Amino acid sequence: MKLLGTARLALNRIWATKVRSLLTMLGVVIGVAAIVALTSIVDGASQGINKSLATLGTNQLNITAMAPDALSEQDAYALAELDGVSVMFVQTQNEGTIATEDKRVNARLVGVSSQYFEAVKPDIALGSYLSDSKFASSAKDVVFGADAANDLGLTASMLGQSVKLNGQDFRLVGVLDDQAGFGTSGRVYVTLDAARKLFSQYPYVSSIVVQAETPEAVDALQLATDKLLRERYGLGADTDARYTITNQASLIAAVSSITDTLGLLLTGIAGISLVVGGIGIMNIMLVSVRERTREIGVRRAIGAKQSNILTQFLIEAIVLSLAGGVVGLILGEIAAYFLAIIGDWVFSIQLETVLLALGFSLVVGVVFGVWPARTAAKLEPIDALRFE
Amino acid sequence: MANPVVELENVRREYLVGDQVTVALDGVDLVIERGEFVAIVGPSGSGKSTMMNLIGCLDRPSSGLVKIASDPTSELNDNQLTSLRSKAIGFVFQQFQLLPNTTAIENVMAPLLYQGVSSKQAKLTATEILNRLGLGERLNFDRNRLSGGQQQRVAIARALVASPDIVLADEPTGALDSKTGAQVIELLKELNKEGRTIILITHDLEIAASAPRRVFLRDGLIERDERGAK
Repeated sequence: MKLLGTARLALNRIWATKVRSLLTMLGVVIGVAAIVALTSIVDGASQGINKSLATLGTNQLNITAMAPDALSEQDAYALAELDGVSVMFVQTQNEGTIATEDKRVNARLVGVSSQYFEAVKPDIALGSYLSDSKFASSAKDVVFGADAANDLGLTASMLGQSVKLNGQDFRLVGVLDDQAGFGTSGRVYVTLDAARKLFSQYPYVSSIVVQAETPEAVDALQLATDKLLRERYGLGADTDARYTITNQASLIAAVSSITDTLGLLLTGIAGISLVVGGIGIMNIMLVSVRERTREIGVRRAIGAKQSNILTQFLIEAIVLSLAGGVVGLILGEIAAYFLAIIGDWVFSIQLETVLLALGFSLVVGVVFGVWPARTAAKLEPIDALRFE
Repeated sequence: MANPVVELENVRREYLVGDQVTVALDGVDLVIERGEFVAIVGPSGSGKSTMMNLIGCLDRPSSGLVKIASDPTSELNDNQLTSLRSKAIGFVFQQFQLLPNTTAIENVMAPLLYQGVSSKQAKLTATEILNRLGLGERLNFDRNRLSGGQQQRVAIARALVASPDIVLADEPTGALDSKTGAQVIELLKELNKEGRTIILITHDLEIAASAPRRVFLRDGLIERDERGAK
């Protein structure tokens, strides 16, 4: 019998026992849907994290003070003189209060030097940033991160109005978008000059960011930065420093390795349910072979070869598993679509995911279909015909 | 005539049940010529089912020679045996044994499809045979919508469709009332008149009497081989 004819026999049987076939598929449906949905969660999440990290620039080094007096503005000016530095900016930050006429909340106040906004370019939702050219005259201007603005209940109509930071009057000039970047949301930005008056940490700063001219130059710059700071503080090469230098590229690499591992773990767990689904198919196929022993005997008597019987049962198992895979893929993508809306990341159907889902279910069908199909094919025609 | 379609030469078939050897056929010789209508008759345990399985290429002898359409079966592997069975033997079973979830015509097409005939050609041939057997109106009925007599006629059509050398009917009237049973026997007689070789396996002497030649089996041996109408 031609393969197509055998496939039709298998499909007829599946159609004739619809409910049972659906239940048999269920394990594979759940397994594949879980793999698809989990893959999309991990992809979406790492997409979001990477995007946040990328806003900070990949050719950037963050030097963060581990103690209040570990880094000073003078260190920053010295670092700016290093070879290969294109941009340098300083941040100093402290907890403080922000208030309008009728509301008062705590927030993180951040003083930044003039190049901060040009270098980071956070997305702005309302108004403008403290731009480099106007920086000198901006000492009484403030830009809010999205969460900070929400906490205080700021609206578009309040642009240009007065808000109080630690009791001093400032003019609201801008609000950042909530997608503006990693960690910007809860913060309130003022100029470095303003920060000196708001909290007296001068000349110490919280962090210094230096940006290399090219991403390739970052590693060399990291070594040079460490060397310079150690000299300035008289630290030996083996002494623990009171600052940390974070390389943005290595941070991204570390985060993606975490999300990759997480993805592998979740897919592995979902894979177990797929295997359980396969065992379900095998189980039902074995029952089916037993129930249909007489049919197998009759088919052998009227001219079916062992290979015909084998193919018929194998196709049945593969179709069950593949159909389960397709249904699971559709359900998984639907789940991924809604997860993307909830998690606020971009939904996309990855060809890789589709092939993975279909490939896995095909393999499950073959692996778990072979034994029942062989059992069926190996039945002796006389025994099968006599079977009650 | 001298055109044997079944030849059994000193055929012995024993089964091992536990550690006990049971002899089902104890050295049997039998020749059936093309175009004969033979009843193989015997009570249960006489060896007639074993003989049917051997003639039907469903089984191989322990010793001795079985030739179907001049082909010896002892040395054939499973595939070759299936191949021989598919072209030489048409089976009619007591319980009709129509395939589940398939229509009358699909049942009749199946043997041709297993031979590799195209489904278009198989459909034509099957339709022709079912029409001849008076089932033209019921081609697409499945077995639940056919009476016992109709089911047995579908089974006979299925047995005939590949133009086998032999139609092997195992108690074909066993599950039918006597009137329908008589019609089935009439049909077999008609087919025999057209030149088909019919082998009827039965325990029923009355049914056996409708065959011109009757081979009586007892305890694995041929007791009597009668010819001529009774």
